[in-house]
Amino acid sequence: MTVFILAAFGLLVLLLAVYGYKVSAKTAEDYMLAGRGIGIAVMFFFALFAISSVWTFYAYPSILYRHGPGFVYFIWGCVAGFVVLYMFIGPRLWAVCRLNRFLSPIEALSARYESPALRLLLSLVLLGSVVPYIADQSLGVGLGLKALLGFPIFVGILYISLLLILIVLLGGMRITAWVNVILGLLYTLAFLGSLVFVVVKVFPGGLSEAVSILQAKQPALLFTPGPQEKFLPHVTCIVFMLGILAFTWPHIVVSTMTAQDKTIFKWMPALALIVAGMLFYTIPFIWGAVVAPAISQMPGSLVPPVSGKAADNIVQTIVTSYLPPWFSTFVLMGVIAAAISTAAVQLMTASIIVARDIIHGVFVPRGRDQFLIRTTKLSVIAILLMSMGIAFWYPVELARYLLDLAIPGFAQWGPALVGGILWKRATKSGAIGGTVAGSAYLVAGFIHKPLLLGLPPAIPTILVNLILFVVISLLTSRPSEKVIRMFFDEVEDFLSKKA
Amino acid sequence: MREAFSHRAGRIFLLVLFLDVAGLLAVTPLFSKPIIVMGWICLPFAAGIVFLLIWLCAYLVYFFKYWPFR
Repeated sequence: MTVFILAAFGLLVLLLAVYGYKVSAKTAEDYMLAGRGIGIAVMFFFALFAISSVWTFYAYPSILYRHGPGFVYFIWGCVAGFVVLYMFIGPRLWAVCRLNRFLSPIEALSARYESPALRLLLSLVLLGSVVPYIADQSLGVGLGLKALLGFPIFVGILYISLLLILIVLLGGMRITAWVNVILGLLYTLAFLGSLVFVVVKVFPGGLSEAVSILQAKQPALLFTPGPQEKFLPHVTCIVFMLGILAFTWPHIVVSTMTAQDKTIFKWMPALALIVAGMLFYTIPFIWGAVVAPAISQMPGSLVPPVSGKAADNIVQTIVTSYLPPWFSTFVLMGVIAAAISTAAVQLMTASIIVARDIIHGVFVPRGRDQFLIRTTKLSVIAILLMSMGIAFWYPVELARYLLDLAIPGFAQWGPALVGGILWKRATKSGAIGGTVAGSAYLVAGFIHKPLLLGLPPAIPTILVNLILFVVISLLTSRPSEKVIRMFFDEVEDFLSKKA
Repeated sequence: MREAFSHRAGRIFLLVLFLDVAGLLAVTPLFSKPIIVMGWICLPFAAGIVFLLIWLCAYLVYFFKYWPFR
């Protein structure tokens, strides 16, 4: 029955993609950026569900479950980072890309710094980081299918990869955005529904009863630094800083370029703070910090305490153990929806980088629209194959794909991005120097961990990147008048006009 | 951010955001105290909600009344 439902769900997603193919205009701008016509409601859910992935469903509750509530600071940082993106960087990036028909943020930065070499460099850095993150999504579905049906992990990875290829190849960014909205709502319903269902069934006294169990059995899970003393105050602060780097996540930066008009940037922070920060992210917090550990600690539990990689699918295991089979299937559909809604945007973003910034930008600059669309689609397949390889490999816990691989890599274009959009004095040499040094430090830190000084990889590497970016920029000659006019004067004039 | 730096209301707005972040980081040593709010809310979560509320108020006032691009 479950297999039949999942097949029907896959068919529904396929129909959506076919519909998207029929309604999309066949231009590169439409395929890559949804014709720059996304309105506020779609944009918000598009961005929210592009951010909220299998990681939010599985990995985030898993960390809270093992280490207590300190890691919630990562989410507070993420919300602040997204708000900063939409308040300060998004409007200017959107305006300059719209005025100059840039199709990718890296293309815009290449024009800002007048450097094709920087374009290639940033493309490689971002691709190296986004591929493991896509792998995170398909691996999550593999784990979900394993927990529910006992299938080997590769079945889920193949299933999700097939759906992703169909959505992105047929539909492009427009249908990716719409699929995000529809599947995201399904995801929220499954996530919230399962939480309410479990609480009602297992804790008749509500969340207070769950907390009482934890206070009696394992109180360290309710406070910092947690049972393994991992979240000391300075670690909690560092985790917040990691979260703030969310403004550098390329798939979210790209979403700002699809905006219909500037009023979107006026409303997005409100939605991010209220709907995402105060409501949506409360669901995984309650799951991971209260409900899941209380169930594991209570007498006669069907799900005894687990640790390490085994905690990755604690939510799905609890749902499967305590709720009816039909509901477990529904929750797994929610996980698949979460995976698709994030991975599709990441896949679109990565393929835009390959097609627009590497193939079109460096090797075939005179390629036409159809060539660009074709290369984007071929890139989708290549990137997905790479991510499947990493997912099969499964070397570390789900959470570390994001924290140790994706975020540090995304962070390396942060100084060049923010400086390019907000600081007139930022120069090509500063951007290249900072990015090369930060990325090289990151790679060296992977090979020889003590180089990172015991800090999460993103922190020391971005500091080196930032310092070099600022110092070299100040020591080298100013950008040309043409660049200042294009990226600052014209942008401010454009944004000052009525929407 | 450039536009916010260029006028007084914007600078006050940025200062509020900055102080709010500083406050959120400054209260982390208190989280080891065994305090639970309303029966189930632990301190790191409560601190984050207060943090978001302050950002929300500052943003609503600035973006709807003073933002130069509104």
